Amino acid sequence: MIWQIIKKQGLLFLRNPQQLLLLIALPIILVMILGTALSGMMNGSSSPLSLKIAFLESEGEEEQVKAFLADVKEQLPVEAFAEIEANLGNMLPVSTIKSVFDSEEVRDFIEVEYLKPSERNEIIKDDSYTAVIEVPKNFSYDLLTTMIVGGTAPTLKVTYNEEKQVGTSIIASFLTQMQNQFTKQNFLAQQGIQLSELAVEEMKAEIVTVNEKNPIEATSYYTIGMVVMNVLFIAGAISYYAFHEKQIGVFNRIILADVSRWVYFTGVFLTGMIFSFIQAIVIFAFSWLVFGISWPDVGLFLLVTVAFSFAVGGLTVFLSALNYKLNSEMITNFFMNIIVILLSVLGGSFFPIGDYVPAIQSMGNMTPNGSGLSAYISILRGENIAAISENLLFLVGFGMIMILIAVLCFPKRGVSA
Amino acid sequence: MIELVNLSKRFKQMYAVKNLNMFIEKGEIIGLLGPNGAGKSTAISMLSSLIEPTSGDVLYQNKSILKNPSAFRKIVGMVPQDIALYEDLTAEENLMFFGRIYQLSGKELSRKVDEVLEQIGLRDRKKDIVKKFSGGMKRRLNIGVAMLHDPELLIMDEPTVGIDPQSRSYILETVKRFNEERQMTVLYTSHYMEEVEFLCDRIYIMDKGNLIAAGTKDEIKQILSSENTISITVERLNDAFIEALEQHPMTNRVTIGEKEVTILVPRETKAFSEIIKLAESTKLDLVSVDNKTPTLEDVFLHLTGRALRD
Ligand SMILES: Nc1ncnc2c1ncn2[C@@H]1O[C@H](COP(=O)(O)OP(=O)(O)O)[C@@H](O)[C@H]1O
Ligand SMILES: [Mg+2]
Repeated sequence: MIWQIIKKQGLLFLRNPQQLLLLIALPIILVMILGTALSGMMNGSSSPLSLKIAFLESEGEEEQVKAFLADVKEQLPVEAFAEIEANLGNMLPVSTIKSVFDSEEVRDFIEVEYLKPSERNEIIKDDSYTAVIEVPKNFSYDLLTTMIVGGTAPTLKVTYNEEKQVGTSIIASFLTQMQNQFTKQNFLAQQGIQLSELAVEEMKAEIVTVNEKNPIEATSYYTIGMVVMNVLFIAGAISYYAFHEKQIGVFNRIILADVSRWVYFTGVFLTGMIFSFIQAIVIFAFSWLVFGISWPDVGLFLLVTVAFSFAVGGLTVFLSALNYKLNSEMITNFFMNIIVILLSVLGGSFFPIGDYVPAIQSMGNMTPNGSGLSAYISILRGENIAAISENLLFLVGFGMIMILIAVLCFPKRGVSA
Repeated sequence: MIELVNLSKRFKQMYAVKNLNMFIEKGEIIGLLGPNGAGKSTAISMLSSLIEPTSGDVLYQNKSILKNPSAFRKIVGMVPQDIALYEDLTAEENLMFFGRIYQLSGKELSRKVDEVLEQIGLRDRKKDIVKKFSGGMKRRLNIGVAMLHDPELLIMDEPTVGIDPQSRSYILETVKRFNEERQMTVLYTSHYMEEVEFLCDRIYIMDKGNLIAAGTKDEIKQILSSENTISITVERLNDAFIEALEQHPMTNRVTIGEKEVTILVPRETKAFSEIIKLAESTKLDLVSVDNKTPTLEDVFLHLTGRALRD
């Protein structure tokens, strides 16, 4: 009986080739477009995000350092002064920042132009800069002084270009990391411990991870992104069909045949689950044949696909039950036109936004598609089941909650015209 | 076999069906007649266990079907008012699907599907997609699906709406044949008098949720036995004649057409000579004067003051 319901849906899909095309071919085309267009950015080479920073420094650091040394000489014991003087090369704040910017790893990722403060107004007007960093007067002197004698540390003035939100958040988090390092250094210096060399190394490493968090290929990323997004459309499409069955009276026929509504309900759930599984497998198979994307652990891959399909099956009955309850396709329409796109953006189907904005990463993992995406990427990176267990649990839990809500909404009997 | 007891259904403030009492005996063809919105579909939805009544009961073999409709559902075949088919599947695929829903399988299923295709005259078109069918063919398939499990009671909700006359008489003949050959009980809903007159043994007439008449065809026509319907055809109508007719003490009701006037008069009236007198005095050329046998249409007009089809 349930099998009949699933089989019939298969026939209906086959009779609607345009729909099949939308569900299978479109995601593949999107993978090709997104994969090639954005691969540069993802692989860290010529960044289409063009993170460009203007760095404005009003006076040289050397003079400030000389002034600093002259001023502290009297205040400090001779050995301490000798120590500072010896290590000063590693403690220069502006030089340190510059050396980080100029390091090879960061250069691939952020382009920094060193300019004069007199050019500031033009730069602010120029839209190609993501941020402008200004070093205030006496910055190095003040910072070094607070390191030795305490007090409030001076800050860099950063102006963000609000139109470049993603880039802005990347640079903001980059600078926050640097700041943390300096604060740490500041603290350590006060304790008489000299760690500047180590700190800079550590800092570099952290910045590099931003860039190297995605060692997987852009096409792999977008194959997964498009699969987890487009599978959501299966839930919508099948809930359309289910509601149509109510509208034309087929659902009533099924009820009058004394088939329990729960049999029908289960049929809709399994239809959603099975067809989303098939859709995912077809697109992945294509990506394997054409892009050569293969899975290091096929068992885990299948496990994630089943869990994800389970969540989509839940979504299918959830949408269907609400349509039945409200006697309109409104919910499905809303889902297809708005929610899917929102979920896809949050879940990182278009852009690995979570890598740059950690808050969105955790939100993304609370969406079925984002959770599926994270799990798939972990598998591609060669991680084991422990790394994806949270995602798996979320997917199964999400599916169960959807089913539960659907059960509570589903109509008790047949439906009148 | 089946009895409806004070069956009512209320949607918000409005009663779609109010205190409906009905019975159906085995082997009968029952007509349920009424204009659009009379409550026919609502009544049979309750009767078939599809929707729950607001109050009242449906008894099958003296047991209520409301709590446990399973046994009843097995003997009912329902032909819904709207085509309930998968338009993207073929006729055969539709029958196979619904047959399986009715727990048929294997040889039995294919035998049954063949048989139904034969009965509804779609054997040659079984591989065609329903979308491409004419309205009449869809209607026939819509009936066929309800026949797959050999129901004892076939409920048909306006099964001939919007189709050509040939398909229509094909359907009426088929229903009659089912009834005669297999003693199938039929509840036939319609707003076409002539269908119900042709098919049915007993008739229920509904209007605005209420039952307004019930009985055999003859019993119902008896309602009109106190009146005769006289149809007057003329060359050219004039107002003086109509006025004279309306004012005449014998006439109960005057309905005016283009070249025809229908009047209701008490049975014993010598209407013919009176009409001829009126025609002469108003200088009207008569073509014919007929005494019509009353139709159900007339009954409905008599009971409600409105024509059945607006
Ligand atoms: N689900 C419903 N909700 C509200 N009103 C309804 C519903 N179904 C039917 N009605 C109303 O009940 C009345 C009877 O409808 P129906 O039974 O379809 O009449 P018929 O089949 O005789 O044309 C109509 O006025 C219709 O608008
Ligand atoms: Mg109706």
